[in-house]
Amino acid sequence: MKISDLADNTGEWLRGTGPESDIVISSRIRLARNVAKYPFLSRANVKQKKELEELIRTKIIEADVAPALSYINLSELSSVDRLFLVERHLISREHAEGEKERGVAFEKSENISVMVNEEDHIRIQVIRSGLELRETWKTIDIIDNKLERKINYAYSSQFGYLTACPTNVGTGMRASVMLHLPALGMTHHIEKVFNAVMKLGLVVRGLYGEGTQVSGDLYQISNQFTLGKSEAEIIEIIEGVIPRITSYERIARKALIAESREQLEDRVWRSYGMLKVARMITSEEIMHLLSQVRMGVNLGIINDIEMKTLNELFVLTLPGHLQKLEGRELTSSQRNIIRALYVRKRLEKIETLKG
Amino acid sequence: MKCESCNKKYATVHLTEIVGNVKKERHLCEECAQGVGTQIAKVPSPTEILTNLINQVAPGISELSKIVCPVCGLSYLEFRSHGRLGCPMDYTVFRKGLIPLLEKMHSSAQHVGKVPSRAGKEMIKKNELMQLRNELNKSIEKEDYERAAELRDKIYELSGDNNENK
Repeated sequence: MKISDLADNTGEWLRGTGPESDIVISSRIRLARNVAKYPFLSRANVKQKKELEELIRTKIIEADVAPALSYINLSELSSVDRLFLVERHLISREHAEGEKERGVAFEKSENISVMVNEEDHIRIQVIRSGLELRETWKTIDIIDNKLERKINYAYSSQFGYLTACPTNVGTGMRASVMLHLPALGMTHHIEKVFNAVMKLGLVVRGLYGEGTQVSGDLYQISNQFTLGKSEAEIIEIIEGVIPRITSYERIARKALIAESREQLEDRVWRSYGMLKVARMITSEEIMHLLSQVRMGVNLGIINDIEMKTLNELFVLTLPGHLQKLEGRELTSSQRNIIRALYVRKRLEKIETLKG
Repeated sequence: MKCESCNKKYATVHLTEIVGNVKKERHLCEECAQGVGTQIAKVPSPTEILTNLINQVAPGISELSKIVCPVCGLSYLEFRSHGRLGCPMDYTVFRKGLIPLLEKMHSSAQHVGKVPSRAGKEMIKKNELMQLRNELNKSIEKEDYERAAELRDKIYELSGDNNENK
């Protein structure tokens, strides 16, 4: 399987379907697991890393984790290809920058991926469109059970699943929901959301997880604690708070309209216009423009563009994707040109379909 | 300045005694000063102050810092500076130091979630019971007695003890 085969489409989780999908982009759960009797990766030698990679890869296939699974060995990939997989949310940034033998298995729809030799030996991930944490948990639980029959996990009755970093020990689970909150950002109410969420032991992160900047008004809310609460309880806490945030966002949008409908419409249309005519767009700018247009579509201001297209453009216009599309490495100013061209083409396609 | 008393070591303790109107200064080495039986307490060095403090906060850290995992070779100090453990065994070896840390991080040091089926049916049951008891406490707090009764029955059923509290 070739990375370039993936370049012109995206994973199913960007479809823009599912509960609350006007605001909730996706629900994601990952489980950290380690093989018993092996050191964690920071203490494993080259031979052990190799053994682990081979063992886990074989077991993933034997366990029939998902149909039509592809496996990619990351140590053989170029840095652009690895960046591409990060943008795709198939691997983490740490995994991309890692060393030696490591890989990732994922299914065609890209809902399921299993990282091998990341910070932990195994990181299982399931993503879905919309607010679907419970369903996501069901899927990942089944995958975990399948793998567990083949692999002896490091586990203790007191500490649960043992992980390289004590911040993940216990359930080894990180459940996160990606939200699009432009109106709360615009009205400066986002801080209140952060404070409320933090009190529940949850954290807010940017688009690509830990330490990443917030852009395009996209936020990820996830659990901090992994020990002392069951998987179901953790999910319940997150699922309980999300509807409150989404309704808060909707109220903020309504308030913006009530205050000055013209001003809001102008903002949205200008952003849309910019996407259609600009000849150079930076990655920072496109996030902002797409965010505005996405809100415009949700509010019924713009009707001729699908949510799916917009969600996809957030990913397809990222540096790794543009370089894969062009089939060569690009400087940042070259990327700005290609980015503008690519978006224009995508939006023109919609225009022609309409006509 | 040499010690007035033994005349060998350097005088590091300087005492000023005032008796009536007479001011008397004495310059002694540490050993002699202690022998004199003066009321002054030994002044601890900054490092000593710090270690004492750490020991008060986390008892046994000095003893912990010596521990090295026999399996992966990671020392407790290395763990504290990098925040990553070296192997599953570290959870047992550094247990004493990890528990307060986990309690601070997760507000708990006991897993109540999923149990791999390999770990045996008993453990699965134990965890399930623990979860049910948690839930029971919560529903009592919320005064949801209907739910509490349901949970109680489930707990009895699982623990196979129907005579409890009757």
